[in-house]
Amino acid sequence: MKIDLLEKIEGEAYLEFKTDGDEIVDVRVLFPHFRGVENILVGKDAWDALVINPRVCGICGHAHLQATASLLESIYRIEITQKAQLIREITRFCEIIQNHLKWCYLVIFQELQIPYDFTTMHQTIALVNKLLALFSGQWPHSAYAIPGGVTCDPTALDIVKAKQIRAQIQSNIFKLFGSFEDPKKLEKDLKKLYETLHAKDLLSVGIGLNRFITLSQDSYVENVKILNKKKRKTKLRYIKEIGQSDSYAKNVTYNNRFYETGPLARLLQNPDFFIRYFYRKYKDSIFTRIIARIYEINILIKKIEHHLNSIDLNQLSVVEIEKKDGEGAISIEAARGSLVHKAIIAEGKIENYSIITPTQWNLSNGSSDNPSSIQKAIIGLQDRKIANLIFRSFDICSVCTTH
Amino acid sequence: MKNRLVWLQGVTCNGNSHSFLNLPTLSSFLQTFEILYHPLLPSLLTLEQLPDANPDILVVEGGLRRGWPKADTDLFDLFMVLAQRAKRVVVVGSCAVYGGIFKEYDQEITGVLFDKEKKSKLYDQFSHKTINIPGCPANPEWIAFGLESDTMHLDDLHRPKELFAVTVHSGCTRNEYFEWKVDAKGFGLKEGCLFYEQGCQGPYTHGSCNTILWNEINSKTRSGTPCFGCTEPTFPQKDLFKTKTYMGIPAKMPLGVPKRAYLTITGVAKSFFIPRLNKRLIDED
Repeated sequence: MKIDLLEKIEGEAYLEFKTDGDEIVDVRVLFPHFRGVENILVGKDAWDALVINPRVCGICGHAHLQATASLLESIYRIEITQKAQLIREITRFCEIIQNHLKWCYLVIFQELQIPYDFTTMHQTIALVNKLLALFSGQWPHSAYAIPGGVTCDPTALDIVKAKQIRAQIQSNIFKLFGSFEDPKKLEKDLKKLYETLHAKDLLSVGIGLNRFITLSQDSYVENVKILNKKKRKTKLRYIKEIGQSDSYAKNVTYNNRFYETGPLARLLQNPDFFIRYFYRKYKDSIFTRIIARIYEINILIKKIEHHLNSIDLNQLSVVEIEKKDGEGAISIEAARGSLVHKAIIAEGKIENYSIITPTQWNLSNGSSDNPSSIQKAIIGLQDRKIANLIFRSFDICSVCTTH
Repeated sequence: MKNRLVWLQGVTCNGNSHSFLNLPTLSSFLQTFEILYHPLLPSLLTLEQLPDANPDILVVEGGLRRGWPKADTDLFDLFMVLAQRAKRVVVVGSCAVYGGIFKEYDQEITGVLFDKEKKSKLYDQFSHKTINIPGCPANPEWIAFGLESDTMHLDDLHRPKELFAVTVHSGCTRNEYFEWKVDAKGFGLKEGCLFYEQGCQGPYTHGSCNTILWNEINSKTRSGTPCFGCTEPTFPQKDLFKTKTYMGIPAKMPLGVPKRAYLTITGVAKSFFIPRLNKRLIDED
């Protein structure tokens, strides 16, 4: 048994390899930390979850906030205005973009030792978070999404400012990655990435389960699972979470099967020529996974432009609500994939709260005849360094996973 | 000679690491340090090599807890080794300063100098070289100030007065509504004060969220969200979106304001009706 420490993944994890000679015949992912967020919530006023849940994670706290607000809305049985919906999507897409940029450069380029323009990368991240904060007040850890809508009340001035910041971000993204126009002619940092992986013979390595899931429904994604190119609607009741004795992470399955969630799963829902080109060529490999995450930046920055042009400022930011007790479950797309929040509210207090995070989907520990996506992608390799890179291609979040 | 910096994470959500990455001048700022270790930024050392590090500045993010694994060592032991060697210790975020939100689950978690508002067992050993930059998370410009400046005036909780002598209320765009006691009556509007009914703790929370803005552009209260008092040892309190009142009067007074003075001023202010403050500022139609 060989154990490697994996760090700089929003915390740490251990990879436990079982080898036969040099060949990796089994692998398990162990998360050593636990902070007890679900326990902290019990007995608190339901709305306190809006403040506590973003603290699950420093990089996708906003997704946890919106999941909490949406969950309470599902229990209260209310719908928010289109204006609030668009604003929530703008800020969530911003959070996803800044995550992908950090992961691309600080994790993948760092690991592959590819040189990059730190200043432009950093300025772009700070600008994306500025656009986010223009609506949400601050990033990280805002609490501006509440049951019924959003607390902000943007004016035409804010929208003009937002459009200017967005245009600057788009121009920086072009500077970093080029136009994403032709998958056969990759430009700038995408070209560097392709050439580096090509030189190391890694383009087709790390193929996973080829089973994908997105559990959310919004203007970008549908709640579907994809098997052999076929899409089928998903229902949250088929999700099962099971504890493990040697790790604080819980395994999660849909209808007793493991799935991969994240940007590749989201992009494969649509007939997108750019990602389809790489998917056909390299399947769900390490490279397809990486390029999907970077390409999603380009998709989302355009969606933000569309949303900024579609907001009707005359609509309410918050609709009237009536607080109710009950039970609910909701999913929302976070940077790394589908995030699920479930709760039982009684007399306005939280009786039970359960969070299932994207990393749990991708990094569960299955068995040899039913491996998780990460296990399938690793088993059979001979080089543990490549295994580490494959782990990182899933964009692991340790703090989210163990919450 | 550049200052050598180690950024150590304890029991945390990583929010302060990410907040620091929003510092607009980060690129040039980083050139003034030698980053021995940071959980996100390119570093010279790995986590496993940290026990051998010899930092000038130790940054601590997250609460301390004995038995919390950190590579092959114990977080608490690793902190002790690095803090003894460091010339200065900069404690960022309310978890590292007071124990923070995860202490609600695990009472063994403490801050470096403080356990909630009480001095910790480490206070006497490290207080002479430690400054506290609380917040959940701390604003990146506060963190940069903490890293850059070695002469500063500190309050009783070791927070730089330059950042924490003011309250979050200071600079809030809703101050006019506070002065004339006009309540927001809900959320989603830029008009009205959030202190009277929506749970805003801005008038009695130390912090410069509204004078040094977040992400250069905004703050919680400006965007209609109450201040939750995250820079104080009492964070997180309960029922965060409601103001606790006694007979309609907020239970907690604005910082330094005696209840009698507050009641007098409130009575006078409420006797005026100011039409301008009781309608929308901008009608989008």
